Amino acid sequence: MKLEDLRDKQKERAASDEELRQALEREFQVIGRRLRRTDGLSKSTGRTVYTDDIVLPGMLHGKILRSPHPHAHIKSIDASRALALDGVHAVITGSDMPVPYGILPWTRDEHALCVDKVRYVGDGVAAVAAVDEETANRALELIEVEYEAVRHYLDPKEALADPETPIHEPHKPGENGNVSKRVHLEFGDVDRLMEGSEVVVESEYYFEGTTHTAIEPHCAIGYYDASGKLTVWSATQVPHYLHRELARVLDLDVARVRVIQPAVGGAFGGKSEPFDLEFCVAKLSMATGRPVKILYTREEVFYAHRGRHPMLMRYRTGADRSGRIKAVDASTVMDGGAYSSFGLVTTYYSGQLVTMPYAMESYRFDSTRVYTNKPCCGPKRGHGSVQPRFAIEVQLDRLAEALGVDPIELRRINSLGSDTRSVNEFRVTSNGFLECLEAVEAASDWTNKYRRLPYGRGVGVAGSCYISGTNYPIYPNEMPQSAVQLQVDRSGRVTVFCGASEIGQGSDSALAYIVAEELGVPLDYIRVLSADTDLTPVDLGAYSSRETFMCGNACIAAARQIKEQVRQAVGEAWGCRSKQVALAGGWAFDVRDTGQRLPISEAFNLAEARFGTLGAVGCYNTPKDIHGDYRGGTIGSSPAYSFTAHVVELAVDPETGFVEVEKIWIAHDCGRALNPILVEGQMEGSAYMGFAEAILEEHIFKESGLHNAPSLLDYKIPTSLDTPEMESLIVESLDPEGPYGAKEAGEGPLHPSIPAIANAIYDAVGVRPDRLPFSPPRVWTAIQARRVREEAGELVLWKREPRETALPVTGD
Amino acid sequence: MLRLHPYRYHRPRELAGALELLKVHAGNVMPIAGGTDLMPNMKHRLFTPGHLVSLKGVEGLYGIEERDGEIWIGACESLTSVASAPLVKRYYPSLAFAASTIANPMIRNQGTIGGNLCLDTRCTYYNQTHFWRQALGFCLKRDGDVCHVVKGGTRCVAAHSADTPPVLITLGASADLASTEGTRTIGVEEFFTADGVWNTARKPHEVVTRVRLPKPPAGLRTSYQKLRERKSVDFPILSVALAVAMADTDTVASISLVVSGLGAKPRTIGQLDDIAAGRQLDAGIIEAVAEQAYRQCHPLANIIVDSDWRRAMVRVYVRRAFRDIQSKSEAAA
Amino acid sequence: MIEVIELTVNGDRHRIGVPSHYTLLETLRYVLGYTGSKQGCDKGDCGSCTVLVDGVPTLSCILPVQEAVGHEVTTVEGLAGPDGPHALQDAFDICGAAQCGFCTPGVLIAAASLLRQTESPSRQEIKTALSGNLCRCTGYTKIYEAVELAARAAREGRKPSELVQR
Ligand SMILES: Cc1cc2nc3c(=O)[nH]c(=O)nc-3n(C[C@H](O)[C@H](O)[C@H](O)COP(=O)(O)OP(=O)(O)OC[C@H]3O[C@@H](n4cnc5c(N)ncnc54)[C@H](O)[C@@H]3O)c2cc1C
Ligand code: SF4
Ligand code: FES
Ligand code: FES
Repeated sequence: MKLEDLRDKQKERAASDEELRQALEREFQVIGRRLRRTDGLSKSTGRTVYTDDIVLPGMLHGKILRSPHPHAHIKSIDASRALALDGVHAVITGSDMPVPYGILPWTRDEHALCVDKVRYVGDGVAAVAAVDEETANRALELIEVEYEAVRHYLDPKEALADPETPIHEPHKPGENGNVSKRVHLEFGDVDRLMEGSEVVVESEYYFEGTTHTAIEPHCAIGYYDASGKLTVWSATQVPHYLHRELARVLDLDVARVRVIQPAVGGAFGGKSEPFDLEFCVAKLSMATGRPVKILYTREEVFYAHRGRHPMLMRYRTGADRSGRIKAVDASTVMDGGAYSSFGLVTTYYSGQLVTMPYAMESYRFDSTRVYTNKPCCGPKRGHGSVQPRFAIEVQLDRLAEALGVDPIELRRINSLGSDTRSVNEFRVTSNGFLECLEAVEAASDWTNKYRRLPYGRGVGVAGSCYISGTNYPIYPNEMPQSAVQLQVDRSGRVTVFCGASEIGQGSDSALAYIVAEELGVPLDYIRVLSADTDLTPVDLGAYSSRETFMCGNACIAAARQIKEQVRQAVGEAWGCRSKQVALAGGWAFDVRDTGQRLPISEAFNLAEARFGTLGAVGCYNTPKDIHGDYRGGTIGSSPAYSFTAHVVELAVDPETGFVEVEKIWIAHDCGRALNPILVEGQMEGSAYMGFAEAILEEHIFKESGLHNAPSLLDYKIPTSLDTPEMESLIVESLDPEGPYGAKEAGEGPLHPSIPAIANAIYDAVGVRPDRLPFSPPRVWTAIQARRVREEAGELVLWKREPRETALPVTGD
Repeated sequence: MLRLHPYRYHRPRELAGALELLKVHAGNVMPIAGGTDLMPNMKHRLFTPGHLVSLKGVEGLYGIEERDGEIWIGACESLTSVASAPLVKRYYPSLAFAASTIANPMIRNQGTIGGNLCLDTRCTYYNQTHFWRQALGFCLKRDGDVCHVVKGGTRCVAAHSADTPPVLITLGASADLASTEGTRTIGVEEFFTADGVWNTARKPHEVVTRVRLPKPPAGLRTSYQKLRERKSVDFPILSVALAVAMADTDTVASISLVVSGLGAKPRTIGQLDDIAAGRQLDAGIIEAVAEQAYRQCHPLANIIVDSDWRRAMVRVYVRRAFRDIQSKSEAAA
Repeated sequence: MIEVIELTVNGDRHRIGVPSHYTLLETLRYVLGYTGSKQGCDKGDCGSCTVLVDGVPTLSCILPVQEAVGHEVTTVEGLAGPDGPHALQDAFDICGAAQCGFCTPGVLIAAASLLRQTESPSRQEIKTALSGNLCRCTGYTKIYEAVELAARAAREGRKPSELVQR
C-alpha cells in the first residue's frame, strides 16, 4: 500500500468541512464533551488486566502469617517445620527486612514484617512462598511463634492516660509513647472573640472509623530476575513512593527496581502507601529466584486498613447577631491505630482543611493523634477533613437555628469569596461556592421544604472545600510533582507516558483528552502508558486529588511544544504564519480556509522532517509561597481549592430510627469539567461514599482487639437498593492555574453528604445525631429521648401539633 | 483467596444413592444443595467434611405442585422459584415474599428451600475465618468450649437466621425427611430445637426431600416482616411471620405469630388465642399481641446490634405485620 | 484429588483436570484463564464473580465446579460476539458506568440476564436485579443509565452509540 492509501483511511474518519468550520467557533474540541474513557471498553469486555490476573511462568504463591494478639512481644519464631513441608520454597521473617519504613520520611515506624513486637491483630510476622496458595496456607500453620502478650489499648483515652506499656518508643524520653502527633495552631484571638460573640454554640461529635473497601483486594507480584533486577507489579496508587521504599527496605539500588501498576480495582486512599505484601513478594522472590504473588483475602484488606480515623471532636463556634463567624475553637482526639501512616499530615488536615469555604475572624485547633492496638488509620477519600467537616457544618446548622437564620443564608453570609486568603492564610483564587449553594437551593426547592415538610421528613444543607493537590511532596525535594512525556508516531498515533495512577478515577482518560485537544488527533489515536517506573516520568501518585490538576498541566506543557512544531512546519509548507494553522478533528488546517488542510499524520510527518523525531516532555510544579509563614503552614495548602454544597432530602421512620436518604443534590465547583461524565461519576461516587459513612459503615473492634466484622457481609457498604438518588450539578469557576481551569472532583464532593444528612435528620425529627453512623438504634434512641423531654414540656413538639402527639408512621 | 479444604464431591442422580453415600461416609460427609450457606462456612473451616453429596442432581427433589390437598415444594427448588411460583404466590404470598427477601438475586437462584430450612445458625463469634476464631479463642459451637455471647454459658445461642421457616411455621407446614432407614414427616415447628450448635431435629444422614403445606383456610391473612440493615444481601436481624385465620370478615379465629432471628429456634409466640380468638381485629388486640411478643422475646448479643433496640423492634414489627394484613385486605375489598 | 471434568465456557468445551474442591471461579480464573470474572470477597457477599450458568446469574465463588459440568457457563468475555461488544458493554463505556471496572463484569452479567427477561426494565427493576453486585466507585447512577440505554437500543434495534448526542 502506498502512503496515500493509508492516509485515505484517515481522511474518512476525520472531520468534514462543515465540522471544521463549527470547530472554529468553539473554544474546545474535546475538553468539556461527554466522551468515552480510554479504558471503558476494555473494562466492560472483561479484558483489563488487574494484578491478580497476571500469571508468570514458575510463579510461586505467598501468604503472610498474622498476629492473633493485639499487643505482644515476639519471643521466638520457628519456621523449620514449615520449611520442611513439600512445596514450600522460602520462609521470611522480620529479621530479613529490618529496615523500618513509613510513607512519611519523618515517621518510619513500620516493618515489612514485625521484628520484635506486634501491635494489632493482623500484624504480619512471617511470610511463606510455596508452589500454591493451599500449600502456603498449610505452611503458615506450621510456623511456631512464641508471643508474650502485653496490655493493649483500644480506646485512645486509655492510651493517653496510661503510657506504661507504650505502643511505640516515645519520641523523646519522658513523653508518652502512645502519642503519635499533636498539633496546636491559633489564628487571631479566639478567646477574646468568642467572649465577644453574641451567639456561641458548642457540642461534641464523634466520627466512627470507616474503611475504603475497594472491591479489588490488594495484590502484588515480585520478580527478582537473574540479572539482579527487581520488578514489582502491585495494585498501588503510589508507584513512585513504593519504588523508593522497596529499594530502601530491601537495600537495593533504586535504579534496579521497577514498579508496575496494572489496572487497579478501586483504591480511595486504601492503596496509597506501601504494604507488607509488596515487600514480602520482593523478598520472597529474592530468596527463591522465582516470581511470587500474594493476594490478600478480604479479611486481610480490613487489617491493612489505613481508613478514616475515628475522631472525637469538641467544637465551639461564636458569631455575631448577623451570623458572621467570629471564632471557632476545635479540639480533637484522633484514634490512629498501630502506626503512623500519613498520620502527621492527617493531624494537620483535621484542623487546617476546614477553615474554608467560610470567612472567620479567628480559629484555633488542637488535634492529638493517639496510637491504639488496631489496624492503622490513614488517608481515605477526603483525607483528614471529612470528620471535622461533619462537626463544623452541624455547628453551622445549630448556629442558624439559634439565630433564626436560614442555613443556606448563613453560609452565604460567611462565604469567603475568591482571590483572598483563609483565616489560616491559605491563598484562594477561584471559588464557586456561592454558585454551588445557589444550584442546590434551586434544584432542591429548598425554600419550600426547609422546616416545612411534615414530621419525619427533612432537608439539610452543608458546604465544603477541598484541596486540588498539595503544594509540597511528601518527601522534601525541589523537583516537579508531575511529568509527562509524549511520543509521536508517523501514523498520527501519540503515546503519553506518565507516572500518574489510574485507579478508576479516569486520569488516563484526562491525559488523552488533553492531547487530543492540543494536537487535534482523534481520541483513539492516543495511547496512555502510565505508572511504570521504568517507562514513565515521575508523578507522585493518586492522592490529595492531584492527578488532573498536576499531570494535566504537565501534559498541556508537553503537547503545546509539539503543537508549535507542527504548526510551524505546516505553516512553512503552506507559506503562511504558523498561527494560521489549527489542529483539530484529525486535520491540520488553515483557519482562514478550512479547505486548505492535511491529515494530521501528514502534518506530523512534515514536522518530523523539519525538526527530527517528534517528542516532548512537560512537567508541573506547585507554587510554594501561597500559605502562611508558620510551622505547618505548608500542610494543607494547595494551588487550588474545589468547593461543594449538598442538599439532602430524607425520611426518618420514628418507630424504628431508619433513615431513608431519598435524594442528594450535589453541586460541585470542579473548576472546569474536562469530561462532565467523569466529573459526575466522581461526584456521585463521592456522595454515595459519604452517605454510606453517615448511615451504615462502622469499622469497629471487639474488646479483644479483633476486628468486629472483616467481611463484605458484615461491614455494610450500600447496595443499589440502599443508595439514594443523586443529582449532579456541575459548577465551573475556571481556575487560573488549573489545566483549562480544572480543579478536582474526586474527593471534595464526599464531605457535605454526612453533615447534610445530619442536618436533614434534625429537620425531620428534631434530634441531632452527633455520633456516626446514624444507625437506626442511635436515631431511635435519640427520638425516644426527645419524646420524653417533649412530654415533660422541656421541648416543643417538633413539627407537630399537640393533638398529633401519636407518632405518625411512614411505610417500611 | 479463601481456599477450601480437600473433599470429594459426589453427584448422585437418585435419592437412594445420595442416602447411601450419607450412610457410608457417616461422620465425614454432608449433603449440599445450593451451597450458599455451606460453601462460605467451609471457607471459614466451620465444616470440613471429606465428602459432599450434592442434592442438586437428584431428580426427585424438584417440583412445586398440588398433591392430596397440600402443596409440595421439592427441597431443591430454588428460592427464586419459590418466590415466583404461581401456586406459592396464590396460596402463600407471605412465603413467596419471604423467599424474595433472602440474600440477593444470585443467591436466590442458587440457594434452595431445603437449604434454607437447614441453614446453620449464625453468630458474630462464629461466622468468621479460622484465623479470627483462633485469635479470639474458639467457642463451643465449633472447636471450643466457651460461649462468647453468654459468658459462662453452656448452651450455644447462635441465631436461627433463615427467612422462610418462620413463615412455614405460621402456615402449618411440615417437612419430609428421608434416610436409609426410611422416611418421616415432621412439622416445621417441631423441626427446630433451641440448641444453637445443631438447631434441627434432622439427623446428619437425613435429607429433607420436600416441604408440605396444607391448603390455607379461606380468608387466611398473612404477612412477613424482615428487619435488616441493608435492603438486600443481609440476613434478618429480626423477623416476624404472622398468619391470622378469620372466623368471618371481622372476627379472628386464631393467630399464629413467629418471631425469629434472635435465638436458635424460631419463637412461636404463645397465648395469643386468649387475647384474640373470637374478637375483632382492632388496635387494642394488635397492641396486646405486640406486647405479648415483646415479653416473650429477649435478643442477645449474638450480633453487634443494640439489643434494647432489637427488642423494641419486636413490638414495632408485629404491629407492622398486622398493619400489612389490614392494608392488604382493604386493598382486596 | 484431581478430577477430570468437561466444562463448557462461552461455547467452548474444555476437558480439564481440577482439584475436586475447586469452585467455578477458581477454575475459570486460575485453570482456564478466564480472568474477566473477578473475586472481591470469595464468599458470596459482593457479586464480582457473577457468571451465567444456563443463562442464570450465579456466584461462581461459592459454586462447586462440578455443579457447572453439563451446563453452559457464560462469562463477561462471552458477552461480546464477532459483531463487537454486547450493547450493554458499549453502553457501559458510553455512560461512564465502569470506573475502576472491577465490579463491572459481575454487574454486566446480572444486567444481561435482566435484559433477557425484560425489554424495558424500570429503575426499580434494575436496582433489584443489581442488588447483589456491590460497586464502590459509581454510586450506581451511571450503571442504571447504561442499562437503560442498552435496553432502549435493543428495543429500537439500534446501537447505543446511535442514541446519544455528543
Ligand atoms: C451473602 C449471603 C446472604 C444471605 N442472606 C440470607 C438471608 O437474607 N436469608 C436467609 O434465609 N438466608 C440467607 N443466606 C443463606 C443461604 O443463602 C440461604 O439460606 C439458602 O436458602 C441456603 O440454601 P442452600 O441450598 O444454598 O443451602 P446449602 O448451603 O446447600 O446447605 C445449607 C445446610 O443445609 C444442609 N442441607 C441443604 N439442603 C439439605 C437437604 N435437602 N436436606 C438436608 N440437609 C440439607 C447442608 O448440609 C448445609 O448444612 C445468605 C447467604 C449469603 C452467602
Ligand atoms: S452463641 Fe456462643 S457458642 Fe454459639 S456461636 Fe456464638 S459464641 Fe459460639
Ligand atoms: S467474589 Fe463471589 S460474591 Fe464476592
Ligand atoms: S466501578 Fe469500581 S467497583 Fe464498580
